[in-house]
Amino acid sequence: MYSNVVVPRHWTRLSCLCRSLTSLEGQKVPQTAKSSDGISPPPRIRRGPTDILQALAATVGTDPTAAHYKYHDDPYLIPLSNFRKRAYALSAEAGRKAAAWIRDEHADLFTTREWDPPNKAKTPYFNADPHIKAFEPKPIYNDESKVTEADLQYAIKNALIEDSTKVFQLLGGVEGVNDELKLQFLQLLCFYNEKEPDSMEWLEERWFAANTRDRQATTWRVGGLAEKIFQSLEPKTSEAYCAIIQGMAKYYQAERAHMLASEAIEKGLQLSTSVYNSLLACVGFLREGTQMRIEALKSTLAQMNEQGISPNSETLSACLKSISAWGGGKALQQVALQVVAEFRKLGIEPGLAAYYYLLCVFCKERGPRYDLLSTMINDLEKKQSLVATEPADTNFFITAMGVCSDHLQNMDLAERLHNLLMKDDNYKLVGDAYKESIFYRHYVTVTCRLAPFEKTVEILDTLIPNVYVPEPSVMEEIIKTLEVGGAGDRLAQAWSQLVVFGHARRARLVERLLDAMCNTYQGQDEEIKAKMRSAATDILNFGIMSEEQEETKELRTPGQKLSASALCNIVDMCSDAKDKADPGWQTVNAALQKLGREEAAGVPAKPQVLADVAQKAVAIGQPAIAAAAVTYLAECGFEEAMSASVQVLSTMLNRPESEVEALLGQQHSSLTGALHPSAMAIAEAYSIAKTGAPVQRESSSSSSDSDSESSDDE
Amino acid sequence: MNTSIIKLVQHSLGVSGVLGQCSPALASQLHTSAPLCRVVSGKYRITKKRDKPLTYEMANPPHYIAHRKSWNSWNTSNLKDGLRRSETALEDEFIRRFMTGTWHGLVCSEIIVKRQFNHIRVAGIIRRAVSPTKMYFLLGYTEELLSNWLQCPVTLELQTVDSFKDVVFKYI
Repeated sequence: MYSNVVVPRHWTRLSCLCRSLTSLEGQKVPQTAKSSDGISPPPRIRRGPTDILQALAATVGTDPTAAHYKYHDDPYLIPLSNFRKRAYALSAEAGRKAAAWIRDEHADLFTTREWDPPNKAKTPYFNADPHIKAFEPKPIYNDESKVTEADLQYAIKNALIEDSTKVFQLLGGVEGVNDELKLQFLQLLCFYNEKEPDSMEWLEERWFAANTRDRQATTWRVGGLAEKIFQSLEPKTSEAYCAIIQGMAKYYQAERAHMLASEAIEKGLQLSTSVYNSLLACVGFLREGTQMRIEALKSTLAQMNEQGISPNSETLSACLKSISAWGGGKALQQVALQVVAEFRKLGIEPGLAAYYYLLCVFCKERGPRYDLLSTMINDLEKKQSLVATEPADTNFFITAMGVCSDHLQNMDLAERLHNLLMKDDNYKLVGDAYKESIFYRHYVTVTCRLAPFEKTVEILDTLIPNVYVPEPSVMEEIIKTLEVGGAGDRLAQAWSQLVVFGHARRARLVERLLDAMCNTYQGQDEEIKAKMRSAATDILNFGIMSEEQEETKELRTPGQKLSASALCNIVDMCSDAKDKADPGWQTVNAALQKLGREEAAGVPAKPQVLADVAQKAVAIGQPAIAAAAVTYLAECGFEEAMSASVQVLSTMLNRPESEVEALLGQQHSSLTGALHPSAMAIAEAYSIAKTGAPVQRESSSSSSDSDSESSDDE
Repeated sequence: MNTSIIKLVQHSLGVSGVLGQCSPALASQLHTSAPLCRVVSGKYRITKKRDKPLTYEMANPPHYIAHRKSWNSWNTSNLKDGLRRSETALEDEFIRRFMTGTWHGLVCSEIIVKRQFNHIRVAGIIRRAVSPTKMYFLLGYTEELLSNWLQCPVTLELQTVDSFKDVVFKYI
């Protein structure tokens, strides 16, 4: 563009421009340099191949209303419970694994390289672009294959442990390979402990198996190939020592690692910082007892100093890792603080991993509170960006949130921590899906307990269900919060959430929900009341349905049944109907029948509710329901049964209570036939309640039978 | 049109004999089959009972492409100087057969193959006849195997419907 303007006139200018252009390419233009026409283009910034994509991606925030991108965007395929989330993710990965198995099993079919030109003709263009290394056909090695050192180099470079071992043997073992390659191979073996690593591809499986992965035990393969290769190396260079020591230390062969280290020092070989880091991380395996271990740690650090090796931030986290693994206590906390202060003096600030270990040392479940976290968050908020350098970095956020919710119980800190995680690109530090859900479990718990109601509801609405699905314990917290907030419609919704999340069979949770609904029922709008009633009806029907299912399928673990109090709550809510034809009465009837058949555990906590319901039912013209309620009360032996039966009967017969009492005092047989069957049932209940007769009495069993059908056959 | 005539002239002169061999772009200019099948290709015969179900895509004959319906393969191979023409066509057919075979009896629509850069997106409508878990298995399997076979990233973009009836546009 410039040249078009300039060329025709001044050759001097052109040469000047050419110079500036060439230097632009080399990024050497100082800002102050001005071309003679007063235009100074800014220096060129070199961009990576994905820089534009990253810039574009930065403009798009995460959408909490959408499912995670690993799930397919279709209503049928979006998971809504924790179980489904895990099942779907693992299924997709199982499918991918099956495909990978087929590829490996029939590797002879996957040998073409799409990007090669057709018929391997020498055309100026490649057939397809770009070349993707991961999809390249992999070389197959067996006993007959002819291999060269290049093959070994390839296998080592791609971290193919089994292939490289095979090639190494084919090349003639320790004698057949040159020292440099042997050293590389040794480094590979030491890093992975001669085991094929879990592929980075199978993320979900790693998440699923994460609990068994991270244990501290001596897993180093004694007398394996790595040690043989190390023995064969002559002279043993410091690189060889570094490799084998780090391998041993990584897999907790602590004694020998330290022995080899001192051997190397005796020989006058230079060890690296990372060797000392790995030695420090396993120093606790050398000694027993806190004091001895602290001394060992200190002596290793002193040794490091003698050797003139400068520590780095990983040294700090290695020290703290060791300390945190030795338990708690004042002494260790003291040492941890000393170490951090010492490293601060050297200009090494603790990273996320170091913070994580510090939290582990200080913030124990039981014990005095230490507010380390606020200073940590202050510090982290000041940082430009958080970069993950160690695997333990991803533990920081969940641990910190756990400290917020259990140890410090501080909503402010939790909020700040969450904001920190959401800032920029920090979300990648949350770890895998398992850690993510633990993080949100703590966050939601602390929010429910401490945040104001509106704030809580807002957070719940954004997080649930796509980002996080609450576990039963958290769900209980949420219900408690909603109850305190008096949010009736949300409680009614909570039931459908319980169904969707797969918690609907947990009787305790459902009982808790019914309790909360019952407590907030009064004082709601009519519309919301109707919603709550229908939710209660739904709960009852769901219980009946799942029981039927259990009977037909004979499940091994039968679900728990709702307690009598919970059923009473249902009765209480559903009986709030003005109309005889209201469907609520059917629910009441069904619930009372369930109670009468003694299908519910325990006895109601609030018997007065049933007495009220009986009164209401008879007033509205549902004598059968009233009779069922009163009979149940009498059978359970509640005091309310007597007064309730008298009241109900007086309403039913439209006589004053005293007259009814006199009537009830008559001979039992004289009443038979004179009264309506429901009234008769109530009279029966009265006599049970009055004489305090046990439930096993003949008449009671017949009356309970009649309740379950109708009150006609008495 | 003009260019292809020139190419034909060149061919008859024997100038491009060598050229035509080494460049597939020149060799594929002449088409002979499409006009012959103009009357029947891409159209469905009406049955006696008028009970043959057609999807929207099937109900519209080929001359409605770009008017009422869209292409089933999206790529730039057939533009001028496009790369990998025959390979693209063959791969698309492979993807279609692979999909209908792997998602056996589940695919309710044509398989749409969209290529952007080196990324292949495969779209289709699937019946909800198997559980979501199994669908996810097939999803993972198809994506992984196809991307290994075609050696580029392959993404499935599926939609599900309750039954085949949901995609029936009319009966003929």
